[in-house]
Amino acid sequence: MSLTAQDWLSKIKSLPLTRSVRIMNVCGGHERSITMAGLRGALPQNVELIPGPGCPVCVCPEEDVYHAIQLALHAGVILVAFGDMLRVPVNAPKAEPRSLEQAKAAGADIRPVASPREAVRIAKENPQRQVVFFVAGFETTTAPVAAMLLEGIPDNLFLLLSCRLTWPAVAMLLESDKPGFDALIAPGHVATVMGPEEWTFVVERHAIPAAVAGFSPVSLLAATYSVLRQLLEDECFLDNCYPEVVRSGGNTTAQAQLRQAMHVSDANWRGIGTIPASGFALATCFEEHDARKKFPGFETEGRKRVGEMPPGCDCARVVLGKIYPNECKLFGTACTPRTPVGPCMVSDEGACRIWRASGVKSPTASY
Amino acid sequence: MCLGIPMQIVSIDGYNARCTAKGVMREVSLFMLQDEPIVVDDFVMVHVGYALQKMSEQEARSTWELLDELLAADNLETDMQDSP
Repeated sequence: MSLTAQDWLSKIKSLPLTRSVRIMNVCGGHERSITMAGLRGALPQNVELIPGPGCPVCVCPEEDVYHAIQLALHAGVILVAFGDMLRVPVNAPKAEPRSLEQAKAAGADIRPVASPREAVRIAKENPQRQVVFFVAGFETTTAPVAAMLLEGIPDNLFLLLSCRLTWPAVAMLLESDKPGFDALIAPGHVATVMGPEEWTFVVERHAIPAAVAGFSPVSLLAATYSVLRQLLEDECFLDNCYPEVVRSGGNTTAQAQLRQAMHVSDANWRGIGTIPASGFALATCFEEHDARKKFPGFETEGRKRVGEMPPGCDCARVVLGKIYPNECKLFGTACTPRTPVGPCMVSDEGACRIWRASGVKSPTASY
Repeated sequence: MCLGIPMQIVSIDGYNARCTAKGVMREVSLFMLQDEPIVVDDFVMVHVGYALQKMSEQEARSTWELLDELLAADNLETDMQDSP
């Protein structure tokens, strides 16, 4: 019979853990389940769950959001984007729209979508217009975009791509002086597409315990138990606690489609900087659909704080797991889900928004 | 954005499938699973309108229950926290 969440909690509590352990997750969906289920409050106090770089909207370059806003305002295009991109603030002068939502209010034709298929539909329904699909996402979203391209898209659809790979940010942290975590919970749906093997470097190169988890408290607790036990027994391996959809090798068809439609490039992460080989760019055969080439040069000369987080905002350190959301001085005061200052309070996958929406005030209190 | 929803296939037309989850019907692309044998009544994990992987009925049902709990908690708490 399969174990319940309570069973896993009992097993975790019975481990002879004498030191404190920091376990990082790199998926907004994981952070959401952990927070909603109140797992932090249920675990022993010396087991810390740290939200890391798991929110593609949060690390989407400020310049790209600004580019999208300017395209929507000045290029006469229909700008489509996933809904949580619309409220991400940029550092524009006060008189100008600072988000896609404000640009929409100022008259720009901006439409939220929930699927790449909707972007294709909107382009087909508006053959006389140019449509730009601004998309930030990790591999789980990028692979469907690759599928969309290979299925065939209309000539009037262009992509402003801000897609990222998940593992290079973890590699960057592990290669830094202070990674800030002792074990990793690897993202379930990224591993579904790309295969769990992508994460073996964590174990083999860095001797850090790792387990792929799904989104239920049971799977997350099983992964927590696994990495704690690996630490205690001093024997690391990559565990798979989400066998329901994570299979050896992942979805090889989707990976082949990604390789066909895109190539991996160095990429800028907002507030973090350039991480080598961490982004996706369109393959040469789709160059004519690249919005960066079709509509270049929308940056305003002399714009202040280009690429940076807003003043006073600590999203960069939240994204890297260096501080908890509540340690940012704007959290819950100047920055709330209703009036977000930084991207982590905007996106449904941002740790700040998840914590605030659940009423979490500190990592030790579950509510 | 990485949140996946399990759905059951109702009908298939090429790479397009009509899928259902708890009474909600959606068009889903099977393009990423074109090398897998997929038939009507199969369950798939869907993300942004694309099926990422096949899954069992039991796994789909347990994920639906989890999503119900998360959504109920989220709506309630967002209402409480985010109202003026």
